[in-house]
Amino acid sequence: MIELEQPVEAGHEMRAEIRRISNRTRARRVATSRVMVLLCAVALTLAAVPLALLIYQLLKNGVPVLNKAFFTTVPSTPTLIAPNATGGVSNAIVGSIALNIYASVLAIPVGVFVGIYLAETESKLATTLRTIAQTMAGAPSILMGLFAFSFVVHDLKIGFSALAGSFALAVLMLPVIILSSEIAVRNVPATLREAGLALGAKPHKVSMRVVLPSALTGIVTGAILALSRAVGETAPVLLVIGGGFTNTWGLLNPVSALPLSIFENAKSPWPSQRAQVWGVALVLVAFIFLVSLTARIWASRKQQVRN
Amino acid sequence: MADMQSKTATTESTNRGPIAMQLRDVAVSFHGRTAVRDCSFDVAKNKVTSLIGPSGSGKTTLLRALNRLHDLTPGAKVSGQILLEGVDTYRGDLTVTELRTRVGMVFQRPNPFPTMSIYDNAVSGLRFNGVKKKALLDEAAESSLRSAALWDSVSTRLKVAASNLSGGEQQRLCIARALALDPEVLLMDEPTSALDPIATLRIEELMTSLKSRVTVIIVTHNMQQAARISDDCAFLLMGEDRAGELIEFDTTEKIFNNPIDPRTLDYTLGRFG
Repeated sequence: MIELEQPVEAGHEMRAEIRRISNRTRARRVATSRVMVLLCAVALTLAAVPLALLIYQLLKNGVPVLNKAFFTTVPSTPTLIAPNATGGVSNAIVGSIALNIYASVLAIPVGVFVGIYLAETESKLATTLRTIAQTMAGAPSILMGLFAFSFVVHDLKIGFSALAGSFALAVLMLPVIILSSEIAVRNVPATLREAGLALGAKPHKVSMRVVLPSALTGIVTGAILALSRAVGETAPVLLVIGGGFTNTWGLLNPVSALPLSIFENAKSPWPSQRAQVWGVALVLVAFIFLVSLTARIWASRKQQVRN
Repeated sequence: MADMQSKTATTESTNRGPIAMQLRDVAVSFHGRTAVRDCSFDVAKNKVTSLIGPSGSGKTTLLRALNRLHDLTPGAKVSGQILLEGVDTYRGDLTVTELRTRVGMVFQRPNPFPTMSIYDNAVSGLRFNGVKKKALLDEAAESSLRSAALWDSVSTRLKVAASNLSGGEQQRLCIARALALDPEVLLMDEPTSALDPIATLRIEELMTSLKSRVTVIIVTHNMQQAARISDDCAFLLMGEDRAGELIEFDTTEKIFNNPIDPRTLDYTLGRFG
């Protein structure tokens, strides 16, 4: 306090020194910045080129095979007399929709409730469940198929069916839904929970009326992302749905699915069937695109309402 | 014991009118570490009592003990006695949910429920406690929003999301939400620290006008605020073991003009904290 002048003087010199260093290094810093931006651009190109090629191939090969019969008729086997009589893939479209609706019905309620439980409690059971979910989320999807085969198809004697397939897909979706729901619930600010409690609400009421509505955007987004992953999965359904050739919504009937149709037709000796694969792939990608687009629009709209 | 008596110079409660809450040797600890202790004072009914002191002196911790918000914090322990109208709030017949409807709380940052409309926020406490009758909810919404001086600006947009309100309006909505339950005591944890001066002024005016129907206990960092609005004042300070303790409790007038403890004077004069 007494020697007021000296610190001011020192501060002045320090600022001058800082300015000198800043001026000297400016050119180098600007150059570094340019190089970094360039590197980012290169990386972006490297990432975008394969993706663009993929979409180009999909459209180029897929669009020509799309017609009314493609969507409305079931497959038929080409013959030497009619080598192009592939029929359509309506069975796979219906099968994929059915499988994923059933899988969602099985997985979403269970997954969301387990996620809420994990977020709201600190117990041995919760820790164990979380570890299982994290492990399952990284497990190879063929495992779900094997499990559904041995458990549903074989042990329960249900046979190759939509039920077995949706079970496998549900097991696949479950950990994703559990973990994303847990995060969504945990992200609800503690102050909101306290506000509810401070109004004399019982803890379960705070969970249902305050925390859950606030976490809903995250929960729904997580569920839709899990669904969009399940739609494209081949391995879990490969062993268990039986590859049915009819349009059926029956739980116990053998069904087909878009990824399975790709898998089977790609191995076909008939060029006409191999060509059809691209159409199926295009439909599948469009499906997934629509599902995740819905999720994103939904989430951003909710966000806007909140802000 | 003698030492403690000197620290908690409680004014004679007999000649100061009815008492809403009594604190007897209240201490709060987390995992065995004391956060605040030695708190004994009476909260006068229909008065504003302020809790002042520097950061870490345990004001908020003490306030949250008054409606048992520490209950869900693992490792938290509240000892001593806290009486509401003579009933022990921790060991008496009072359930924790009933206590919280009688002792409301307004938090530091406005925290209206973001997924609810203004109307739904105002009546949320009633709904949580089982009130479903539309006419009753409508009436409670209007009266509580009026009490919080918010009705005139929101009456035409009750169905709008509460997050559309300004910060000051959101905080008044939180006050309305607490008032809808018709509490006897309203706890306020630095309710204006996140607000601009004009919004602060409106909340302060509100507190003064609410005194006739509710006892207010307010934590504040702002000494002018404590001096302006409170009738009684508790001064807390962090002890050598980093636990907060009550240094002095008295009328606000005495705390600011003629305190017993020199540390109180140092603090109110702005020499530290």
